[in-house]
Amino acid sequence: MIELRQLTKRYGDTLAVDELSFRVEPGHVTGFLGPNGAGKSTSMRLVLGLDAPTSGQALVNGGRYADLRRPLHEVGALLDAGAVHPGRSAYNHLMCLALSNDIGARRVAQVLELVGLSGVARKKAGGFSLGMKQRLGIAAALLGDPGVLMFDEPVNGLDPDGVRWIRGLMRGLAEEGRTVLLSSHLMSEMALTADRIVIVGRGRLVADATVAELTAGYPSLEEAYMALTASSVEYGAAR
Amino acid sequence: MRAVLASEWLKLRSVGSTGYAVGAAALTIVLGIVWTLYVVSLADARGSIRAAAPEEGFLPLVQVSLAVLGVLAITSEQADGMLRTSLAAVPRRGRLLFAKAAVVGGVTLAASAAVLIATYTISRLIAGDRALGFNDIGLLDGLPTVLASALSVAVLALVGLGLGAATRSTAAGIFSVVSLLFVLPSVAAYLPAPWNTRVASIMLPNLVPQIAGDRLSRRLGDGVLPPWAALLVLIAYGAAALLAGYLVLRRRDA
Repeated sequence: MIELRQLTKRYGDTLAVDELSFRVEPGHVTGFLGPNGAGKSTSMRLVLGLDAPTSGQALVNGGRYADLRRPLHEVGALLDAGAVHPGRSAYNHLMCLALSNDIGARRVAQVLELVGLSGVARKKAGGFSLGMKQRLGIAAALLGDPGVLMFDEPVNGLDPDGVRWIRGLMRGLAEEGRTVLLSSHLMSEMALTADRIVIVGRGRLVADATVAELTAGYPSLEEAYMALTASSVEYGAAR
Repeated sequence: MRAVLASEWLKLRSVGSTGYAVGAAALTIVLGIVWTLYVVSLADARGSIRAAAPEEGFLPLVQVSLAVLGVLAITSEQADGMLRTSLAAVPRRGRLLFAKAAVVGGVTLAASAAVLIATYTISRLIAGDRALGFNDIGLLDGLPTVLASALSVAVLALVGLGLGAATRSTAAGIFSVVSLLFVLPSVAAYLPAPWNTRVASIMLPNLVPQIAGDRLSRRLGDGVLPPWAALLVLIAYGAAALLAGYLVLRRRDA
């Protein structure tokens, strides 16, 4: 479970996340939506303890991420698919992460197989397409077989085959009882993948509901999203 | 801690820049052979000669190459975003930096000791019983200087790691190391006496001769530090840089 309590993050005079509170429960995929700059990625970084909150709390399984001893066994995250050393092979990239959390080479081979990168495991990650890097990032998130997963726009750069694969993977992970938080800008894809939707705009919570509830009053999830975020898309607007 | 060390050791081994840095440092062996052959030919023509020791003359090459390795160990992760992935795997930032420091320190100490001892030994073997100046003491008597030199390389790599973490920039990290190695000492040498010798005594490259009990230079004379104090100052350089890096890494958003 992921829980945000009055989470606030300020960078200089920019309020990136503004008293944001919501819970992500296990057992279904939770879609995380919002315009660019709404605070989705910042919220995920705060959950992982990469950035320190200005105030409020971000909790995973009831505790702070920074207190986890071997965090990859509890939380897996893909924040930025490009965040790999271009000269390191996919296998070594995963192995570096695995070693730090006492995960063995067999699991590394397993996740490479799972994401379909076994054939290029010894190739340098710098030569990978965005879609392949997304798959590598997903493999890294799955390394420790964690119960909580966060993916920041994992569908970007994937081919139609890959998009469908991610949809199945996300739903499968949730059906196994895991907590899955997934951000994306593809509304139609999100409508197919997620059961619950959290929408943020300008760092604040705009909606927290099931897909069925959101689409009840609108023709589609996309229409619901457009209507709900209509006032939140101006960048750098005075706050 | 063992797990994080294993991870950092693989990180260092699995990128090309590590090989290039160690390779550049190892070039010293080749340059040392070429230099020794050259001064041997001069000595054969003139009878005897006072030449600089190759492992001392080319030491800056080893220092800069492996200091860059130390800088890159942290700044490459900051540049490509890998640091966030690393910190998600190892949230205790001090632990991550400590593991990096242990691996960088160990690798650069071993590499520099190997390169410098090889350069030292090969040059003396080539020299044979000719009087080249640098080989006028026994083979074992020169070893303390060689080992102090190797230690200075490892400390410089840790300074690079610490200042790289503190400045979060490859360019700034390398510039800091080069300043400590070349810029500040040359400024110190031109201070009015006796301050030139006093300030020069705590400059990083001048700590090596003081640790080994040698003269700094003809111009500066003996350093003011006894060997143990020079060793402490050398270690303090590495510790101060790592502390600065830790404080920035701990406080700043990744």
